[in-house]
Amino acid sequence: MTTETLSLPMSTSGLQSRKKRRQANLAIAGHALMIVMSLFAVFPVYWMLVSSLRAENHIFDTALWPDAASLDNYAYALSAIPIWRMLWNTLVVSAAVTFIQLLTGIAAAYGFARWRFRFDKFVYALIGLTWLVPIQVVMIPNYLLVARMGLLDSLPALILPHFASAFAIMLLTQSMRAFPKEVLEAARMDGAGSWRTLWEVIVPNLRGIIASLAILIFISTWNEYFWPLLLSRSAENTVIQIGIQMFITQEGTSWGPLMAASSLASLPILLIYVVLQRQVIQSFMKSGIR
Amino acid sequence: MSTAALQPVLARPIRRSVRRIGLSAELLPWLYILPAVLAFGVWIYEPLIRAFMLSFYEWNMLPFSPQKWVGTQNYSNIFALQKLWQALGNTAIYVVGLLPMSVAIPLAVAIFTHDLKGRWRNFYRALIFVPMIIAPVVAAAVWRWLLDPQHGILNLALQGLGIAPIDFLGDPNFAIWTIILITGWKLIGFATLILSAANANINPSLIEAARMDGASSWEIVRDIRLPLLSSTALFLVMMTILLGAQWSFTYINVLTAGGPLGSTTNIYYLLWDFGFSSMSVGWSSAAAVVLFVGFSVIAFGLFRMIERYSFYDN
Repeated sequence: MTTETLSLPMSTSGLQSRKKRRQANLAIAGHALMIVMSLFAVFPVYWMLVSSLRAENHIFDTALWPDAASLDNYAYALSAIPIWRMLWNTLVVSAAVTFIQLLTGIAAAYGFARWRFRFDKFVYALIGLTWLVPIQVVMIPNYLLVARMGLLDSLPALILPHFASAFAIMLLTQSMRAFPKEVLEAARMDGAGSWRTLWEVIVPNLRGIIASLAILIFISTWNEYFWPLLLSRSAENTVIQIGIQMFITQEGTSWGPLMAASSLASLPILLIYVVLQRQVIQSFMKSGIR
Repeated sequence: MSTAALQPVLARPIRRSVRRIGLSAELLPWLYILPAVLAFGVWIYEPLIRAFMLSFYEWNMLPFSPQKWVGTQNYSNIFALQKLWQALGNTAIYVVGLLPMSVAIPLAVAIFTHDLKGRWRNFYRALIFVPMIIAPVVAAAVWRWLLDPQHGILNLALQGLGIAPIDFLGDPNFAIWTIILITGWKLIGFATLILSAANANINPSLIEAARMDGASSWEIVRDIRLPLLSSTALFLVMMTILLGAQWSFTYINVLTAGGPLGSTTNIYYLLWDFGFSSMSVGWSSAAAVVLFVGFSVIAFGLFRMIERYSFYDN
């Protein structure tokens, strides 16, 4: 073996340098590819922010980097529709839905993970199959139910249909099943009932999963469009996503205020993303991989 | 500390407590799952049954107007509608059109960029993920602005290249592809991240062993990476087939309202149109039942396919 490598020093080094160069080229091509994808992903968002900051008579400018910023569009948007109220509504709905889905999810997951009971697999399967029911299939009966409850055009109408999340239940059930049995047994030895065991032993240990679920639920609810479209009527009782739509009209769109409203609707989420970037990506990945 | 030593001491209290709770041990788990079960019953399964029932009636959703039993007439009516067949055809176009952006390109990118350095990878990850957290309505608004025929930056750029401006959302030949592009914009980065994660999970010793055996890079991709990524890729294919057309609902409603000439209407938007524009509960419900049945059949077929055709790395 030694003689072989020694007898061909020139050719191997030549081969290696060629291989190295090829790898360097591949790496450059890889970077180029990712830069193109990154630009494609980020440019629309950048353009939204830039356009929102242009003065009214400069909205059609195409300079990639504007030399003057103006808040005119924001002022106009805020005076045209009750944006603060809508943002507040969105926050209330998103926070409430996050809290409720975590609560119902943790409880249900505990029930499925800790006990065997009659029909448990059947009920679990029914919950898992809910994503087979497209929202448009059940929209009319749900609309009628909300109307009968007298909740049309109110915030509870936007919260109640999101009372439980199948994804949260399944993810939490899986992680609770993986929870070490010895710890549960020890808690039982200490005389802790099932309720106390759940909140004092299991939940503190699942902080990571619960936090990433919370991020996922909050962002998805913040971005939700279908239920508000179906169930709210007046500007005072709706969420920001519907507010954005109010600037889009058939006879001509006021681009500046539209971009300002869109930016206001996105800033809270983008802020969460900047601060908790890794956690946000991880929680969405979990929802995708499973 | 050994469990064997603890066993005799502990056995009694456990058995006693079990006997004491007796009946409630049967009930206890139900109490925990009750809120969730009620929610799904009230908001999903009961409405599903109700939609099935409503599909046999004629009704305009006004509380005091009568519901008239019409048997299967709603079904024969909607199947006679050219609109329905157009919407089903468009649904297929949405799904097929999305596949390159939700599976094929992400798969190629994930494989091609697997050896990028950690710092750079995190930087790109952070950027290509952004569309995923942007609200669909915001995405619709921004793309409408980018694609505006007169002032949109894309058309201005095309003009710079000497190409006449394109009415991306108003031209029946372009509109559906524009909506697909916007839907894909939100997904492409996310799909790339999922496939990259799966790609990074492949055991490097497998690749090393193949390289030792003299396999070329392409052979490694074809014989090792692609088979090991197939279950993740198939999962994304399934998500696209089942949900792809549904994801575009917001863009259709905000940007085209199903037009021009119904060219962007898919089956989900048609349900909305029947229900809340035409106020025809019967038609919408009949179409909902057809959609649900078709959706379930496709889903179960895909589940079985994934079970049969995916390889696992262990």
